[in-house]
Amino acid sequence: MRVFETYSEDETIAVGEEIGRGLPSHALILLIGNLGAGKTTLAKGIVKGLGAAAPEEVSSPTFTLIHEYGDRVYHVDLYRIDEEREVRSLGLDELLDRDAVILVEWGERFPNLWPPNRIEIRLEAIDDTRRITVTPA
Amino acid sequence: MRILGIESSCDETAAAVVEDGTRILSSVVASQLETHGKYGGVVPELASREHLRAIVPVVRAALEQAGTDYADLAAIAVTAGPGLVGALLVGITYAKALCFARELPLVGVNHIEGHIHAVISQALREGRPIEYPALALVVSGGHTHLFEVNGESRYRLLGKTRDDAAGEAFDKVAKLLGFGYPGGPVIDKLAPYGNPRAVRFTLAKMKGNPLDFSFSGLKTAVLRWFQSRDMAEEVERRRELLRANPRPRVEEWLAVTPQATRDVLASFQRTVIEELLRRAASAAESIGARALIVSGGVACNTGLRAAAEEARFPFPVHFPLPALSTDNAAMIAAAAFPKLKRGQLDDFTLPARANLTLAD
Repeated sequence: MRVFETYSEDETIAVGEEIGRGLPSHALILLIGNLGAGKTTLAKGIVKGLGAAAPEEVSSPTFTLIHEYGDRVYHVDLYRIDEEREVRSLGLDELLDRDAVILVEWGERFPNLWPPNRIEIRLEAIDDTRRITVTPA
Repeated sequence: MRILGIESSCDETAAAVVEDGTRILSSVVASQLETHGKYGGVVPELASREHLRAIVPVVRAALEQAGTDYADLAAIAVTAGPGLVGALLVGITYAKALCFARELPLVGVNHIEGHIHAVISQALREGRPIEYPALALVVSGGHTHLFEVNGESRYRLLGKTRDDAAGEAFDKVAKLLGFGYPGGPVIDKLAPYGNPRAVRFTLAKMKGNPLDFSFSGLKTAVLRWFQSRDMAEEVERRRELLRANPRPRVEEWLAVTPQATRDVLASFQRTVIEELLRRAASAAESIGARALIVSGGVACNTGLRAAAEEARFPFPVHFPLPALSTDNAAMIAAAAFPKLKRGQLDDFTLPARANLTLAD
């Protein structure tokens, strides 16, 4: 388990970048945290660390559900989905089989969907501080 | 020249027949069809499976309502991106199959270009064509973009959101406060009952492109306002209302929305609108715009429409009719018309592109 604390958006992006650089080419990452915890901000850094896109290119996929960065990084947001059945029909299984990094926001609401070999990153916002916990390391 | 347009980039399956790029003979959106009536029209058309179910009846309804046969068509236009690949593929594959069977030309259209053409086409219909260069503000649940538009097919991206789309911020604030999701229209209806100056939300200063937007910080600011109060009971009353009646009337909402909450809704909406119009104004000035085009779902927002009028820009401001603001296929058929005239056609290798850009 690794724990980071950040005090600004830039620092959160920098932590994401560090996490991104250490990732294998095939990985599933659940980004877990409340509204405004910094999930999309951290995703900006991870995508940058993976060399897939600049942070300005990474925006929230809430409405569009899936954003693709090249063919190696997918950023998924299940915020507006209520049922597991609907998630299944999105074709995530196929994404998970690819040699790609899949970042998922609000994925913890559907615990049955994810393989056990995943990385979970929890984000907590306490005033202007963000605590970021990565398991497993 | 009649074009059949097909749109399936995100939630909506839609088809339309448009003549000469301006005359809308039909415009059908799946969630408005009778078969969905029992769900109150709020079926999440999320996945390709839903599009698959809807595409044939929607296209058929569009042709029937237009009194049009395949033999009357000059081309078929389809959204090629951006959007969900699985969803886009349903429309693209169906369009290709129809083109192949009926020997019709295929025209791929960018969804965002469609939103811009919803307005260009309406302006032509109303006899007050857009003057160029124009500034286009495309603002919806998924997009917040500023484009320079030069004529019917030349675009330059001037700015976009760095994080949340404006419509997304509306929807998330509404859900947070117990107004359901999506909740943009609810906030718009209740905002006039609150004081838009009651709460000051300060927006973070951004580095980089001064024409980029950011709405994530505003969403977080509303969250903090919410957390600093004990609102559980109030929110629960609204959720109860929503469970009893999925579409409450304004008076019903007001009955469970104290003044402080009305004020925060009004202040939030004012902040978003000011942000949109401030950047639109400076973008318009930087390109010497002769018109402002506002399109996308958030263009339905009455507060935005009123504020754009009050801003007294030195050029006309064009909003689409509400039915043409949200996702539809008439805009896709309209955008395809100038392409067809130029002979800018696609073949059966047209791919679905999730990240299709209009201009870099």
